[in-house]
Amino acid sequence: MQAAPSKDFVISRVLDAPRDLVWKCFTDPAHMQAWWGPTGVNVVKSEMDLRVGGTYLYGMQTPDGAVMWGRQVFREITPPERLVLINSFSNEAGGLSRHPMSPTWPIEIYSIFTFDEMPDGKTRFTVTWRPYNPTDEERATFDAGHASMTGGWSGTIDKLETYLAKAKG
Amino acid sequence: MQADRLSATFSALADPTRRAILARLARGETSVSELAGPFKMSMPAVSKHLKVLEHAGLITRSRAAQTRPCKIEAAALKEADDWLEEYRRLWEQRLDRLEDYLKAIQANPAQQAAESKPKAKERRRGRTQ
Repeated sequence: MQAAPSKDFVISRVLDAPRDLVWKCFTDPAHMQAWWGPTGVNVVKSEMDLRVGGTYLYGMQTPDGAVMWGRQVFREITPPERLVLINSFSNEAGGLSRHPMSPTWPIEIYSIFTFDEMPDGKTRFTVTWRPYNPTDEERATFDAGHASMTGGWSGTIDKLETYLAKAKG
Repeated sequence: MQADRLSATFSALADPTRRAILARLARGETSVSELAGPFKMSMPAVSKHLKVLEHAGLITRSRAAQTRPCKIEAAALKEADDWLEEYRRLWEQRLDRLEDYLKAIQANPAQQAAESKPKAKERRRGRTQ
């Protein structure tokens, strides 16, 4: 029996800003520092070497004071349309590390950010995530969210469809 | 701990045979011998996989019948699903923040002070739109 290939994790949103500006929000470390961290988390370090093979290293400070490190290694830079990078947790020096909460979360995530021009000066931003060179276990962790769909539980599919409809707005 | 249970779920799901067993069980209750057939495995080998799945709470086995049919349990998978849902939420929040940030810097371009050289280029482009 072959394991089914991973399904991509996709999120998309139309942003009310011109494409060049949205692009810069992702490719300028000062911009990234201003918004990248999840809610309640401050980006305390934001260092970017924007070239293919270069790294963006960021430190996120949670409310309890702990700093979580993450990095992006750029694989493809096509301004202002497409940014491909390998995303992972890291240590302070930018070395690879595992998800702090899960030993089975894929150590590296292949991420594709696309920026599409929309009418009225808007921009559709889409993020696509898939495990990068995952082990079986890592793939399973990533796919677990989709496992219930292949099992045929309509509730999950409904949820996804509602979500997609909303995301496609 | 929830994290431990999730680990058990994920490591149970990590095996392609066990995923295939789950896929089969998703179509309905099945006995061990029925399960063993398509996998070209011995009954003890299948039983071993079932034990792992049972331990992770992904399946339950009836004690009523002698064949002890296996049934899939949606709850454990749901938990794994919720976990991925966390990432969805993270991105939703992140995009909320990006939206707010874009609004702020467009309302007050001076706020872009944080940014370095490419400013002039952006203004030029902005004017053509």
